[in-house]
Amino acid sequence: MVFTLYSLIEAALLGVNAVAILNEQRFLSKLTGGGGGQQGYPGATGYVDDMQNAGGVKQQLLTLIRSVRTVMRIPLIAFNIIAIIFLILFG
Amino acid sequence: MHSADDPVHRSKNHFHPSTAQASNGYEGDYTVPHTRSAPSQNAFFSPQSAFYSSSSQQTIPTNQVASSMELLSNNPFLNVGIKAVGDSMKDITGKTVNMLPNEMKKSLSSIKDYFAVDQIYVMKKLSLLLFPFRPRNWSVGYSADGPVPPRVDTNAPDYYIPLMSVMTYVLVAGLVLGTQNRFTPEQLGMHASSALVWNIIEIGLLCLTFYILNIQSKLRTLDLIAYCGYKYVGMIAALSSYLATHSLFVYRCSLLYVSISLSYFLIKCLRLKILPDTSGSHTYNANGNARRVYLLLAIVLIQPLFIWYLTRHLIVT
Repeated sequence: MVFTLYSLIEAALLGVNAVAILNEQRFLSKLTGGGGGQQGYPGATGYVDDMQNAGGVKQQLLTLIRSVRTVMRIPLIAFNIIAIIFLILFG
Repeated sequence: MHSADDPVHRSKNHFHPSTAQASNGYEGDYTVPHTRSAPSQNAFFSPQSAFYSSSSQQTIPTNQVASSMELLSNNPFLNVGIKAVGDSMKDITGKTVNMLPNEMKKSLSSIKDYFAVDQIYVMKKLSLLLFPFRPRNWSVGYSADGPVPPRVDTNAPDYYIPLMSVMTYVLVAGLVLGTQNRFTPEQLGMHASSALVWNIIEIGLLCLTFYILNIQSKLRTLDLIAYCGYKYVGMIAALSSYLATHSLFVYRCSLLYVSISLSYFLIKCLRLKILPDTSGSHTYNANGNARRVYLLLAIVLIQPLFIWYLTRHLIVT
């Protein structure tokens, strides 16, 4: 119940770290089974109407994971360093 | 006689723009610029100054209050400092707002529309939240460039009620803890931050679900934030019923009633926005339709869950 803003930030940082260290080869390509291979399908998945099949859930998730990894790779290094320093100094 | 008139004379000079007396006992060594506060205060204070000039007995206690305020507002160093800080803050916020992408800028300016409420709207909305069962028209008017301000349309969501009810919830929680002798001032801060965090988690999860299930709906994110804030009204109602009676049975009954009415309210409000309208194209497949229904049900069902969870720790059996 006691949920401070700091614990939310911590949980978010750990979650994004977990998403970032997923191995592309072993895990993500196995999960798509060819659905993620269509990388030339740019933002179109977001704007097609509901004629998407139910496999669209997987595709959306994978797009989300891939975009999070691409965007957050560099800032995550900075956030982790800040978090480490913060935890060393303030326990 | 002159000394008796002097307080009167000095108070008149505080409010009149024409003379600036250097050797005024209240203001010390520096001269007082009156031009800044002149236009508004002149009209406001002139009947009072006439009143003061007629009776010098009442001027003395009010003079001391006026003198301390004058000290604060007429100190030229404070003026310069406050002006500098204000300008730099406006500068910083202006720069950061300009750095945002265009859509966020539009969202930021449309937040103002959500606060445009009046009393009739608030009364209607609150009575609707607590008793939505009368047959009425739930559709929201459409406006092409942003949200419909609640003043215009009663069915539009707003931010005033959720914001005020979050603050009231924190206070009522403090009250309940106080009656149980469990209150410390940190509890208020903890309740406020945990309400904020749970809100952030809930909105984040809902937006994520909207994105993953690939549902295009007319519901804006800002609207969703408003709709998720309406449960605090129900929480306050349940908590105050517990506070009034101290009986667990009454608390559970009010919890049940509040959950049912909030669910009904949310279903009626969100049904038109999330579910596809039948007048549109019929070429959507059954899967997308079922997903929307499930999502609507999920939104509606986690509200009572939150109400129960966030009030449970305040109840002592």
